Amino acid sequence: MIRRTRTQVGRLQVAVAEIPGLRSVASLLALDAGQLAEPRGRSGVARLTAQTLLRGTETRSAQEWSEGLDAIGASSRLDVGGQAALFSGQCLTGDLRAYLRLVAEAVLHPALAAAELEFVRQQALAQIEEDKKDTRAVAEKTWRELAYPPGHPFHTRAVGDEAVVRSTTTEELRRFHSDHVVGGGAVLVIAGGAGAATAIDAVNEAFAEWPAGRARPAAAALPSVLSATVRRDVVVPDKTQCDVVLGWHGLPRNDPRYVAARVTNMVFAADTFASRAGNVVRDQLGLAYYVFSTLGSTRVASPWLVRMGVNPENVTRAVGTTFDELRRMHEGDIAEDDLALAKDKLVGELDVALESPGGVAQLVLEAELFDLGDDHFERYPRELRAVTKDQVVETTRSFLPLDRYALAVAGPPLPA
Amino acid sequence: MSGDLPLVRQLSNGLVLHALEARHAPVVSLWVWYHVGGRNEVPGTTGMSHFLEHMLFKGTPGHPKGDLDRLLARYGASWNAFTNADVTCYFETVPADRYATALGLEADRMRNALIALEEVEAERTVIVSEREGYENDPSFLLGEEVQAVAFSRHTYGQGVIGSKEEIKLMTRDGLYEHYARFYSPSNAYVVIVGDGEAEALLDEAATAFEDVSGDPPPPVPKAPEPPQMGEKRVVVRRAGGALPMVQLAFRSPRATDPLAAALSGLTVVLSGGGGAGDGASGRSSRLYRALIDAGLATEIEASFQLMKDPYLFWVEASLRPGVPHVDVERIILTELARLAAEPLDQSELTRVRRQMLAGMAYPTDTITGRAYQLGQLLSSGAARSIGEWYDRLSALTADDLREAAAATFAERSRTAGWFVPDDHVASRPGTDTRRAAPGDTR
Repeated sequence: MIRRTRTQVGRLQVAVAEIPGLRSVASLLALDAGQLAEPRGRSGVARLTAQTLLRGTETRSAQEWSEGLDAIGASSRLDVGGQAALFSGQCLTGDLRAYLRLVAEAVLHPALAAAELEFVRQQALAQIEEDKKDTRAVAEKTWRELAYPPGHPFHTRAVGDEAVVRSTTTEELRRFHSDHVVGGGAVLVIAGGAGAATAIDAVNEAFAEWPAGRARPAAAALPSVLSATVRRDVVVPDKTQCDVVLGWHGLPRNDPRYVAARVTNMVFAADTFASRAGNVVRDQLGLAYYVFSTLGSTRVASPWLVRMGVNPENVTRAVGTTFDELRRMHEGDIAEDDLALAKDKLVGELDVALESPGGVAQLVLEAELFDLGDDHFERYPRELRAVTKDQVVETTRSFLPLDRYALAVAGPPLPA
Repeated sequence: MSGDLPLVRQLSNGLVLHALEARHAPVVSLWVWYHVGGRNEVPGTTGMSHFLEHMLFKGTPGHPKGDLDRLLARYGASWNAFTNADVTCYFETVPADRYATALGLEADRMRNALIALEEVEAERTVIVSEREGYENDPSFLLGEEVQAVAFSRHTYGQGVIGSKEEIKLMTRDGLYEHYARFYSPSNAYVVIVGDGEAEALLDEAATAFEDVSGDPPPPVPKAPEPPQMGEKRVVVRRAGGALPMVQLAFRSPRATDPLAAALSGLTVVLSGGGGAGDGASGRSSRLYRALIDAGLATEIEASFQLMKDPYLFWVEASLRPGVPHVDVERIILTELARLAAEPLDQSELTRVRRQMLAGMAYPTDTITGRAYQLGQLLSSGAARSIGEWYDRLSALTADDLREAAAATFAERSRTAGWFVPDDHVASRPGTDTRRAAPGDTR
């Protein structure tokens, strides 16, 4: 069972989970500076800001800061997702104080210098160029364009819109940093070999300057609905396999139906080997190497996606078979054993996750980000177990409709 | 880290068991390693070990197809398998009270896999699909060609997943023969790490495996690679990639060679150990500074794998659009020559040593990672324990690194590969290339 010790530094919400006997700690700092925080029509600003945070501070050049990080052997990165910019890392327990100081310096006192923005801009443009020939990236980009209107935060991938990446200024980065990176909500989770008192002491020292007061609320996302079936096939030349993304809009993490949706996702397609879609598409028919689905977890509804890699000759059959399974779920054709398996797996994974400081940190982060309650870790397995077949059918009908979805296929031309 | 030697026991059937305690979570990680991989294949059967790995999830008389996956899923286990050039490995991390079930499943499929004809046919298309997924990746396409050119005799040149044509020709009888030959207790070892006393973990494993019968171990394949006499070059032109790429592969020694630890250290000097790009770490590495900070590349990686036989030290760079290959190749070679000529100064050595040792600590702070790392060291004979390898890395000096660089980064032992994005190449699916991802996972 995970035990949390919590504190607050300014507006920064902190939770520590000690795992005695480990030599390292995992650290997750979730900043309310993801795609949802981007100004409307400025997709890419969040990631450009995040990457520029890693390129020097007010007192250290990019090279000096990275030497400091590598000198303690820390493993670290800063990624932008739908809701949060996530500064994730791992360091030796004895280096926690030094690691947090480096993170705090980058987040609170970045240089955001013009030359560094230019460096980051060119890297982002190269990434956009590379993604144009990457079937997975093309399929996801296409799906987002089909599923969300222009201007919606999820209309583009986090790397952003090429025109925005080309035109972003340092002033824009500074404003985003001020409004969202340090102006928004933030949660820091530390899990591993550090004792709670030691970890909190290190947090207090590193983040003493974190602003207090109310977090700036992010603008509400544009409403969006999938009112029909939309599909687009994109030819990516000189490829062998198609990547397929099939999806819906999902539901917010705090929706009371979310736990049932997790079970539904597992029954349907979450796992290539344990879910129905994978079982039929891969194991029975041999149509694909991978088939899996993911259910987004943010404060607004975020994508619920099925992905598969399929030979162009098999795309129609693989997608059709996936829909056959979904149709059966709509009709209530769900074996008791499939439902029990899904629940057993989700509950069992909670125990297995305890083996890793990163796994524990992820569980704690979700509980903190969505304010799931002090008794979440006792309650959550019971909530999973309590999900009924009727709830799964209802969730399927509500959130995975057969007549309203977006489907994107990227790869070689499909047969006529 | 000395003193973490696993408890070892050999059973009468030849199977060797290794166990370590790890008490921080109520789970056990069980890994069964077979000494069979791409190196045991001959032209015409490339990819057979990997194909067979897939078939071991397709049932035994005691556990029909689907049983194993559903049983392990029900426990919340993480489980999978992979094949590389040297070994094939099956693993599961399960709640500690399910350890006996996991042992039962592994002991059963060591000798009792059905490998039914209809399942071979169904899985063939899955494996073709796996290979086609790799073919979408320019790094795979180029690496496969470089690897094929780098070896003229040794089977390492064939890769792991096999050519698509040979996957299509694989027969059920051929697979079963491969299984009967290599899946035997005397050709395998087991690593267990988890929440129990090592002695007790071994006792349970011994009970599960002691009645598994088998043949003597098969002979070790011998196809020594003759010395390389000069640089080899290969260019892959495809439309299926947007960024140019450079790969350099240098002949490097086997895992048991005294230079192996220093070559592992050199990957940290060059790219931070795991490669560097948009992550925050690894940016003080030499290739990040020389190529990414300089605006010439988007990602760089240096890698060296611990292998049974002499293999390759790889350097890869993805170039920014428009940057000439020759410029990047020249800078990489300059950096490698500098490593061969000048020892690291104390400050860089201290930083690199810390990165190496922390980089070992992180994966071994998970029970699954600790079991994998121990098993991986045992597979090639690099060390008998994680601590032993850790101590060898700790003891590396600047001279050790310089000497390893001088011995390895020679013009006559390198193969250079360029990936050239070419928008004018017509679509031509299914080229015959032969390098698989290093850890070819089910």
